[in-house]
Amino acid sequence: MSEKYKFDTMSLHSGHVPDKETGSRAVPIYQTTSYVFKDTDEAAALYNMEVGGHLYTRISNPTIATLEQRLASLDGGVSCVACSSGMAAMHLVVTAICSSGDHIVASNKMYGANINLLQHTMTRFGIETTFVNPNNLEEIEKAIKPNTKLVFGEVIGNPGLDVMNVPEVAKICKKKNVPLAIDATFNTPYLMKPITYGANIVIHSLTKWIGGHGIAIGGAIINGGNFDWGNKEKFPTISGSHFALNGISFWEEFGPSALTAKIRAEGMYNFGPSLSPNNAFYILQGIETLSLRMKKHIENTKMMLEFLKENEAVSWLRHPDLQDHPDHKIAKKILPLGSGSIIVFGIKGGRDAGKAFIENVKLSSHLANVGDAKTLLIHPGSTTHSHLSSEAMKMSGLTDDLIRLSVGLEDIEDIKIDFEKGFKAAAKILSKRS
Amino acid sequence: MYKDFKGNKVYLSTGGLNLVNDKETLCFVHGAGQNHYSFTQQIRYFVSQGYNVVAPDFPGHGFSEGYQTTSIEEDMLWLSELLAFLKIEKATFIGHSQGCLTILELAEKKPELVMGLVFVAGAMSIPVNDFLIDTSINNPEKAYDLMVTWGQDIYGSFSISDWPGHNHLAEGNAVMKMNDPSVLSTDLKSCNLYENGKQAASTININCLAVLAKFDMMTPLKKGLQMVENIKQCDYKILECGHFLPIEQPKELNALIKNYLNSLK
Ligand SMILES: Cc1ncc(COP(=O)(O)O)c(C=O)c1O
Repeated sequence: MSEKYKFDTMSLHSGHVPDKETGSRAVPIYQTTSYVFKDTDEAAALYNMEVGGHLYTRISNPTIATLEQRLASLDGGVSCVACSSGMAAMHLVVTAICSSGDHIVASNKMYGANINLLQHTMTRFGIETTFVNPNNLEEIEKAIKPNTKLVFGEVIGNPGLDVMNVPEVAKICKKKNVPLAIDATFNTPYLMKPITYGANIVIHSLTKWIGGHGIAIGGAIINGGNFDWGNKEKFPTISGSHFALNGISFWEEFGPSALTAKIRAEGMYNFGPSLSPNNAFYILQGIETLSLRMKKHIENTKMMLEFLKENEAVSWLRHPDLQDHPDHKIAKKILPLGSGSIIVFGIKGGRDAGKAFIENVKLSSHLANVGDAKTLLIHPGSTTHSHLSSEAMKMSGLTDDLIRLSVGLEDIEDIKIDFEKGFKAAAKILSKRS
Repeated sequence: MYKDFKGNKVYLSTGGLNLVNDKETLCFVHGAGQNHYSFTQQIRYFVSQGYNVVAPDFPGHGFSEGYQTTSIEEDMLWLSELLAFLKIEKATFIGHSQGCLTILELAEKKPELVMGLVFVAGAMSIPVNDFLIDTSINNPEKAYDLMVTWGQDIYGSFSISDWPGHNHLAEGNAVMKMNDPSVLSTDLKSCNLYENGKQAASTININCLAVLAKFDMMTPLKKGLQMVENIKQCDYKILECGHFLPIEQPKELNALIKNYLNSLK
């Protein structure tokens, strides 16, 4: 990886210098679907992907390109494609590399929709996935078959907060010549850059900490440019002949950026999960303060962990920075600045107590997102999983007393006071019962 | 496409098309520690403009196997033999950096092969400091890093270009990593040793084009202008960018090459 400037400088400047015509210091929002060609020659060159430039916003747009260039430089990737959501990013990666008859090895501790996409949707199209414990290296290696085209995991799993041993998994993938794709949503490049640990593809839901304000859904794929796609039999979608563009091989023409070219030329072109230029702008605003926000998220998380550890209403507490977390050692190694700002804990009194807690906090918002500047909470037992019995919840790795907390940027003393109110309500339920 | 040439697998980028006899040929010659990806935004563009394009990976570079050439003179011989093997009788040569030394040498020794010459970020000599050569021997990845960061001006360093989503520094680095690790030091030593540039330049009797970079820290503008002065007829243009001009300002470069090619007709 080569960098001339440091992280904070790149978060403000990569991908943009003041506009030559207007001098605009901020990144302009190019709210346009299309771009007038200078002449037929230029039009043909753009359609044929011979030179850079924009022809239609479904494929690329100058505001979105600034976002992509900024993300690529922050994560140390060679190139990036931004798209409409984190899930779109995941889908683009899978479909760029895999075809019917191919196989994926994926962590069994990932975000529910990531699992569902592989387990239920992709299987309908003939792409099978073997789910593995993300930290059982032997299991991962054994699961890789000759038709395995992708290994997939999250640095910090949602919602279990398992930390994947990315450097060791990357070594296995390299040995087996299979690309490693990592969903790095929970860490952001501020806390950890998977490419520097040998991962080949990074996926972000920009909706979360990168955008950081809960105002725009977005996703991105960052290509590490560090995978050899040259085996035509194994990776025909990247190094074989493309159905358009005179039948070129992306690998031969674009080398390190072959995967990006494939995603743009096929995924963005034919599926169309484009980001809106306005949302790209909002997300760029978020990135300008990414390191400031992440520092405060981590600081507040530390204080919240202390607070919850001491609290009588809390029956158990999970965060990779806690010494009793099973992945604490690996977290310390690959996430030295902190393991993100999601905390999960159990509330004494089970499902009803959880419900009472959630209903009695005011500052903390009860909703489905994570990574907002504001503190967010969810109690799966009374929302997403309310229809399941305690036993059935356990089967999917959750308990009915579990609360997921996304620590925000408020003065943490105010959040603690808010939590005390919720805990008081939960305690009432508990005492009524006993 | 891949060819078996002199007992080795050699890769030459032709923009994905077969070479055709009745078209004019453009031959792109990459620089030190580079390969055909230096010209990603030129190769297919000029194929579409109706040319045969040949952008070989020199031995040990990119996808080409074989023993590396250890001098500019050897580079020139390898290239001229490759063209003979491909049955290309004449071509316009576009060199970048070290590639400019190779085509200068070719212009003197094999003038019959040369239809036109374009020097991109070039000079008549490219002395390389001991520090960079030592680094390229002892720690090639560090040397890639130095070259890539010196080689780009502010636009490149902040990944600013029309190529959506591309990060020039990391991409430049990845391209260099595709080569055999010994390639860069061998190339830099070849550059350092080459002394015939001035003599070669003085023999050129055709119209040439030099496209130079104002903020070039690898082959400084001053040295590029000295080359222009030593060639009888050499137009030149200075672009506001760094050494990796084909990536930093591809459209401007392509337009200049296109005009030059038209002027040869
Ligand atoms: C780890 C992880 N990956 C991917 C996603 C999907 O992102 P999006 O909602 O932007 O599609 C989420 C959303 O919660 C997530 O938490």
